[in-house]
Amino acid sequence: MEVTSVVQLDQTKAKDEYPNLSLRPLQVSDVDDFMVWASDEKNYIKNIVVPHPWLRAICIDDRPVGAISVSANSGNDKCRGELGYVLASKYWGKGIVTRAVKMVVDTIFVEWPHLERLEALVNVENVGSQRELEKAGFQREGVLRKYFIVKGRSRDRVMFSFLSTDYQS
Amino acid sequence: MEATSVVQLDQTKAKDECLNLSLRPLQVSDVDDFMVWASDEKVTRFCTWEPYTNKEDGLNYIKNTVVPHPWFRAICVDDRPVGAISVSANSGNDKCRGELGYVLASKYWGKGIVTRAVKMVVDTIFVEWPHLERLEALVDVENVGSQRVLEKAGFQREGVLRKYFILKGRSRDMVMFSLLSTDYQS
Repeated sequence: MEVTSVVQLDQTKAKDEYPNLSLRPLQVSDVDDFMVWASDEKNYIKNIVVPHPWLRAICIDDRPVGAISVSANSGNDKCRGELGYVLASKYWGKGIVTRAVKMVVDTIFVEWPHLERLEALVNVENVGSQRELEKAGFQREGVLRKYFIVKGRSRDRVMFSFLSTDYQS
Repeated sequence: MEATSVVQLDQTKAKDECLNLSLRPLQVSDVDDFMVWASDEKVTRFCTWEPYTNKEDGLNYIKNTVVPHPWFRAICVDDRPVGAISVSANSGNDKCRGELGYVLASKYWGKGIVTRAVKMVVDTIFVEWPHLERLEALVDVENVGSQRVLEKAGFQREGVLRKYFILKGRSRDMVMFSLLSTDYQS
């Protein structure tokens, strides 16, 4: 899941503009709000109906405007989880994703003590999304070439990560 | 260095390069050769698995994992298996990439065998799997020998993925390498 943000981000302004940002579980009764971004073609939506071990609605004034999730792995891959997010295009470019990501980072390593690495893969052209992650403290590790198929074509993805040890320091 | 030593070094190198190397499926009848590398803790140091201690486990591995594997070959010297090399397949939106893995009996280390085997795989896998665009390999940051194999085989180093994977109970930093079908053609 990804969001393409407009280039200018002004987080101070955004906090004043949307002081009441929260994360909560998505419910069946949210379906109308969900369809606002789910039917928006500007977004890439991946497996939103597949049950995620950790999925939260991103809410403004308790109304869902997007979603953020962390996937789990098993066995020798258990130390890492993948972060994904999607946001209704009306709310792009206001630093909302950065704030939501920081909220996830504040809680996921506590809820999942076995988690050591939170990673995110972003399309190379999606500069807005890359900046959201950098502002949230993620480290850019490299470009994985032709890593993943999106809409029928293989794409280069930028790998970002945030370690539980990054958080503590 | 003395002249005699230089000549001997050249002869050893030439001999290594003349080794009769081939790839073929690994069979149940190869289990004794398999046990030579699979039971060696030098070999398994960067593997997720512990050294094999009994032949029955080896037979089960060949029957249950090797035989049904999408692409698994024994690395053979004079048609005797001395190691193995494989490519894993993915499905759905991950279908464009496959992961390379290899293992070699320690007696045969340092002779360029794995580099040659990797090149053999690269020569064939993009033809056998036309949907494959990316061959990738993840190597432990401390496994410098294996990193050099991939560089010599033409792979590109993309970055270090921190605490990516658990090896023998501890999370490890892994170096990501890749070779694209388009790299191969050029």
